[in-house]
Amino acid sequence: MKSQQAGLFIVSIFLLALPLWVKSDVVLTILVFSWLQGMLAVSFNLIFGFTGQLSMFHAAAFGVAAYATHLFMQHLGVGYWTAVVLAALLVSVLSIIVGTICFRFRLKEFYFAVVTLAFSEMARLTVLNWNDVTNGSLGINLQEKPWLLGFKVDGTVPWYYLSLFALAATLLVCWRVVHSWMGRCFSAIRLNDELGDTLGINVFRYKLAAFVAGNVIAAIAGSLYAFYLGSLEPGFLSIDQSLGIVAMVLLGGRSSVFAPVAGALLLTALPHLIHFSAEVRSIVYGSILILTILVLPQGIYGSIAALLRKRHAA
Amino acid sequence: MKIRLGVVAAALAAAAVASAAVAQDVVKIGQIEAQTGTLATYGWMGHQGANMAVAEINKAGGFKVGSKTYKLELISPDTRANPQDALIQLKTMVEQQQVRYVFGPFLTNVFNGIEPYATQQNGKILMMGGATAIHAQLGKPNHDYLMRTWNWDAGSAGFGQLLVDYLKKQGAKKVAMLFQNDAFGKVAVDIYTPIFKNAGIDLQIELFEPGTKDFSAPLAKLAANKPDFLFPGYVDAVLFDIVRQATETGLYKRFFTVRGSMAPGLKNKDLIDDYIAYLPKWFEQAEKTEPKVKEFVAKYKAFYKTSEFPYDQAPLCSSSCYDHVYMLVEAMKKAGTVDDVAKVKAALMKERYSGLWNIRYDDTGEAVFDFDVLHMRKGGAITATRVTPK
Amino acid sequence: MGQLLLGQLLNGAILGTLYGIIALGVTLTFGITGIVNFALGVFMMLGAYAAWYFTDVAGLPYPLAVPCAVAVTALAGLIADQGLFRFTRNNLVNGLLVSIGMIAVLEASALLIWTSTPKELHRVLPGVFVIFGFVLPKMKLLVFGLLLAVIIATYMALTRTWIGRAAYAYAQNPEAAQLMGVRTSRLQTGVVVYSTALAGLGGALYASLYSLEPTLGSLFVLKAVEAAILAGIGSVIGSLFGGIILGVTEGVGSIYLPLAFRDAYGLVFLVAILLFKPAGLFAGRR
Repeated sequence: MKSQQAGLFIVSIFLLALPLWVKSDVVLTILVFSWLQGMLAVSFNLIFGFTGQLSMFHAAAFGVAAYATHLFMQHLGVGYWTAVVLAALLVSVLSIIVGTICFRFRLKEFYFAVVTLAFSEMARLTVLNWNDVTNGSLGINLQEKPWLLGFKVDGTVPWYYLSLFALAATLLVCWRVVHSWMGRCFSAIRLNDELGDTLGINVFRYKLAAFVAGNVIAAIAGSLYAFYLGSLEPGFLSIDQSLGIVAMVLLGGRSSVFAPVAGALLLTALPHLIHFSAEVRSIVYGSILILTILVLPQGIYGSIAALLRKRHAA
Repeated sequence: MKIRLGVVAAALAAAAVASAAVAQDVVKIGQIEAQTGTLATYGWMGHQGANMAVAEINKAGGFKVGSKTYKLELISPDTRANPQDALIQLKTMVEQQQVRYVFGPFLTNVFNGIEPYATQQNGKILMMGGATAIHAQLGKPNHDYLMRTWNWDAGSAGFGQLLVDYLKKQGAKKVAMLFQNDAFGKVAVDIYTPIFKNAGIDLQIELFEPGTKDFSAPLAKLAANKPDFLFPGYVDAVLFDIVRQATETGLYKRFFTVRGSMAPGLKNKDLIDDYIAYLPKWFEQAEKTEPKVKEFVAKYKAFYKTSEFPYDQAPLCSSSCYDHVYMLVEAMKKAGTVDDVAKVKAALMKERYSGLWNIRYDDTGEAVFDFDVLHMRKGGAITATRVTPK
Repeated sequence: MGQLLLGQLLNGAILGTLYGIIALGVTLTFGITGIVNFALGVFMMLGAYAAWYFTDVAGLPYPLAVPCAVAVTALAGLIADQGLFRFTRNNLVNGLLVSIGMIAVLEASALLIWTSTPKELHRVLPGVFVIFGFVLPKMKLLVFGLLLAVIIATYMALTRTWIGRAAYAYAQNPEAAQLMGVRTSRLQTGVVVYSTALAGLGGALYASLYSLEPTLGSLFVLKAVEAAILAGIGSVIGSLFGGIILGVTEGVGSIYLPLAFRDAYGLVFLVAILLFKPAGLFAGRR
């Protein structure tokens, strides 16, 4: 435990000090995107890795919050952070509705995925077609930037710290939840939700809690992401986005709170490290996905952990 | 030991100088386009053309500006229509690869994602893309870096008005518009609605989800109003299916398109009375009548080692493509610099280029070029008019 | 309006059989191998391009090109099964990801080989029927008939032949079936290959009606999965009706409501069904 804490400490110092010696804007930009995608991956894993529910609603939570943040600022005249909170509230309400529908009717894993996908697509189509409000496929350019403690968060280095802190907060929250009695209920549900019922766990309530919590974190990630990128588009809610998140978690390892960040980092940086021709790169990407599944089914983290365990056992 | 170190140091220094010297004599063009995925049509042709132009110029020994000879290098990553990746690619180009000239993007969502950063680089780069969203940003403060390489349907130099007038002469009273629900589709609706209204033509609009293949429902819906012309848009991928299914119903005999090739019309020529299309260029015909086009087609086949020339994609080379590389080189020569983007832009704005197309830029920095209006009648006979905007 | 409605009912039913044949592949694969094979979309694409190749490039007559295309697709399915799907039996998530990887690889390869220029088959059976004022292309009706025949034949095979009943028994109770001597791994491979063959047939027939591009499979497979779920995974006849219901809902919905939401109507219907009849409309029936 101590070595884990020490390791965490060292990594934290390293990451905090990084912008001091890494001056490359490109690398820092990749890291900002990685931290934000990491938030998505870690929060998704709360629902998927720990509670065992394959949700395809994550991209919708991400995208809806992004649009909502801007729209609240525009139509209600509130400041950025107020808008972020309002957007998170909106997403939690939507999650409660979708989650209640799904879990009340006791949808099994696969059907749950399909129904959440259906709702996600409906959200995307709404954003795409509600031209008066969302400007549809033309998207919206965002001019404003958030202000924090008197500083305007503009430019790569401020965003690096903001996204890093947001990720750290996400990891902290998820860690605490997973290691609490709530987390143990999640695990029970993941292993066998019918059994969970007989043990007296209110399965419905915990599934819903995990679902809402995961989506709310995704919502905050969405608000941050959109204002970093500086634009909104319906593509935020696409199936590709949801699948990308699943891939990140599987690559990193779904049995750990922290491991999905590694997946996020790898998949964000990878397209910029491999310099093949366009079609060849798709082939390489697809092949990596396939090979990871077949050769590293527990993700990078899980496989390394298993290896270490074997060594210790031997 | 010392001597060896010295030799190594000298060699390294020489190499550094040499590479620096080489780096100085290379002008890099960065291309931000989607080359794979469903939206890849525009980026693909842009890459094919630009790539060939760069290779040709280099093979001919480069170009001279002042006393130095320069070569070109094309850096062309694949954005996959993802704004996040495009932003990182643009930053890499500008900060690590010393790129000053950017071709693209064609896609609006990509442009929206990179626009904030590009605007920060105002004065250091020149971005020449075909995206719909670029139109609205031209001329805004701090947007001097921006130019749009595709023409615009509306406006005095636009062809929308021209085509609607032509339609009116053909006796059109009611037109049904069937367009994709995407960025350009929306813009097309905004542009054409007032033009048709002013011409006194009744316009009915249906938008469909990109990826639709079966148009039975919207075609039936629109047919109820008995339109004279169907106005479907705007890429071959959908035109093939729309025109085929429309002609099969027997309720649609007259078509009018902006962009897309003549192929959909020709495939159904015995069922169509009129097929009127605006095309950046009718390549099949131009290959026979224009020497430069003939040369281009031959060179393309030789360069890419293929017997197939992409006639349907080639019109898209009217944006950020072959001609534009040559135009840029001309501008650099006239401006006498490869670094000062403001001077290069000024030279581009004055330039009247005559290549595959006759291209110039209007006051806002948007491209104006000549195009073809084709009228196919039943049986496949096509009359073509070359239009040169003033 | 009535004519419009009738037309869309007919058209929706026909389009529905196309969804249905892929849905059949989805349902069979799920029942026997425990994964939802999204890659069936690319097998459909392969079948379509193969049919185009054999007809327009190699010059074979269309009725011959179709079985050739199906054979090619089935072979590809065999290779994919032995090389990839074999390792993902009963693991839904792994199956999903392997499918996605395959889709990326195959679509990119198709793009490399055939470019994004849409391909169109020459008209195989031109001409239309006019039914109560609604125009129906002859080829569409032919495709409808063929797909219907294949689906019904599959149903017969599953319920009447030994292999079919063995497959059904396996789907119900894998251990018991094994004990009874059913060769499980052969059965699974066989089902996967048959599903890809079905997808290939769907694609080959699709090619006679619509233009081809490398991404044609993606949209179809999503609809097919919806149709399979609607009907209840495991029901053969159900996948046919699931497809038809989906096709009709989309077509009819498009008349009365904005077309741009067409994909949503099917989704809403699907969600509604799943909530009130979670096992699907035809669950429990074969």
